[in-house]
Amino acid sequence: MANTRDIQNRIKSINNTKKITKAMEMVAASKMRRAIEAVLKTRTYANLSWNIVLNLSQATNGNHKKALHPLLIKRENIKKVGIILISSNRGLCGGFNTAIINKAHNSIKIHMEPEEEQPEFIIIGKKGVTINKYYGYDIAAEFPKADIISEIKEVLPIAKIVLDDYLSGKYDKIMVAYTDYVNAAKQIPRVKQLLPIDISTQDEYLGIVGEDTRVGIDKEFVDKKKEKYLRDEKHIYEYTFEPNPKEVLDEMIPRLIEVQLFQALLESNASEHSARMSAMHQATDAAQDMADELTLFYNKSRQAAITNEIAEISAGANALSE
Amino acid sequence: MSNKLIKFEIVTPERVVLKEQVVQITVPTKQGEITVLPNHIPLVASLMPGVIEIIREDGNSEIMSVSGGFIEVLKDKVVILADTAEMAEEIDMTRVEEARERAEKTVKELRHFDRERFAGINAGIAKELARSRAVKRWKKIKKID
Repeated sequence: MANTRDIQNRIKSINNTKKITKAMEMVAASKMRRAIEAVLKTRTYANLSWNIVLNLSQATNGNHKKALHPLLIKRENIKKVGIILISSNRGLCGGFNTAIINKAHNSIKIHMEPEEEQPEFIIIGKKGVTINKYYGYDIAAEFPKADIISEIKEVLPIAKIVLDDYLSGKYDKIMVAYTDYVNAAKQIPRVKQLLPIDISTQDEYLGIVGEDTRVGIDKEFVDKKKEKYLRDEKHIYEYTFEPNPKEVLDEMIPRLIEVQLFQALLESNASEHSARMSAMHQATDAAQDMADELTLFYNKSRQAAITNEIAEISAGANALSE
Repeated sequence: MSNKLIKFEIVTPERVVLKEQVVQITVPTKQGEITVLPNHIPLVASLMPGVIEIIREDGNSEIMSVSGGFIEVLKDKVVILADTAEMAEEIDMTRVEEARERAEKTVKELRHFDRERFAGINAGIAKELARSRAVKRWKKIKKID
């Protein structure tokens, strides 16, 4: 008979693992609550500001041949794309990292032009480095990711890098790959174009953060806004800037880029903790199933051993009495 | 006067401070205070620390402090993206005074050192000043002493 001691040891070790996964689940759950709170608070601001910027980019591109700000100009030849990839610092969060890495890779495969150079990655969170291992993309910079993100300060260095590199011409396009938080059970990996700010990109790239009905910021939405607010029977209005376009946009656009990055980071963070929580929940369930099965097996084998022993004893007794 | 209303919305990265239908909005922009009435031309401007005043349809007004940000004006819609903003009635005056004193003291001690930090603290003072101005204005309007 499979010896009972071995089974007992296995049950013990599985129960210990279960305790650990249960604890991790609870930790992830509490972090998730905070992350979700943070993400919901900033969504309105992020969406409204993105809306304004998209609107500006369209208002100015549509009517003038020259855009008002270097960050609004779409470059003719895209030589190199920079991608900010937001991953997690630690594993054990189900398919979270794989999903976002694959999404980024697929998006590159679909949209990369033949004459383009390989895109470069700016990684947030340690796990993103695997994109280099699996697909061989170069990594330009790597930032650690805090578990709880509360201040916009944390994205400032990243925003500075991408703005500088974009303006200096190192990159002609900046994308951000993040995981959009829909609800605790559903997170969608997304790739969004950050720079240049341009409404006419494929819809896949446009910033739709969250599922709130009023925030579906796609082309149609911005067009509608334009139709509604910037036009009456006779005139098409244009924005006036005070004191002047350059000064306002110089201040506004970098700020809005920061906010977008911050929002993407918050979304990813909420998604990561939700993903980890459900992964750990499944692990706990699996451990429970396994322990139950083994306990049954253990009892069976124990019973078999006893039956066996009794049979032997009674056989012996029989032999003596004869 | 037209009876058209403006959809007014003021948001900070932390929350939506106010979302309402109003008839008039006064905001401090970099070029001075402006008042927005319905059918204003589309405008984008950056804001200074200061006091925002809105007037509702029933004639009641509401005071807010703002520490900077942007305003977008559309035909009958105004969006303010503020760095921070509070309703006047939410502001705790004693804490504002304390914060301002603290900041001013640090500035005195720090003047000859770090430029960036100096600017940061000065912005802080401007913000607290805006808050206290907002409270004063609010008290005057609501006739609270």
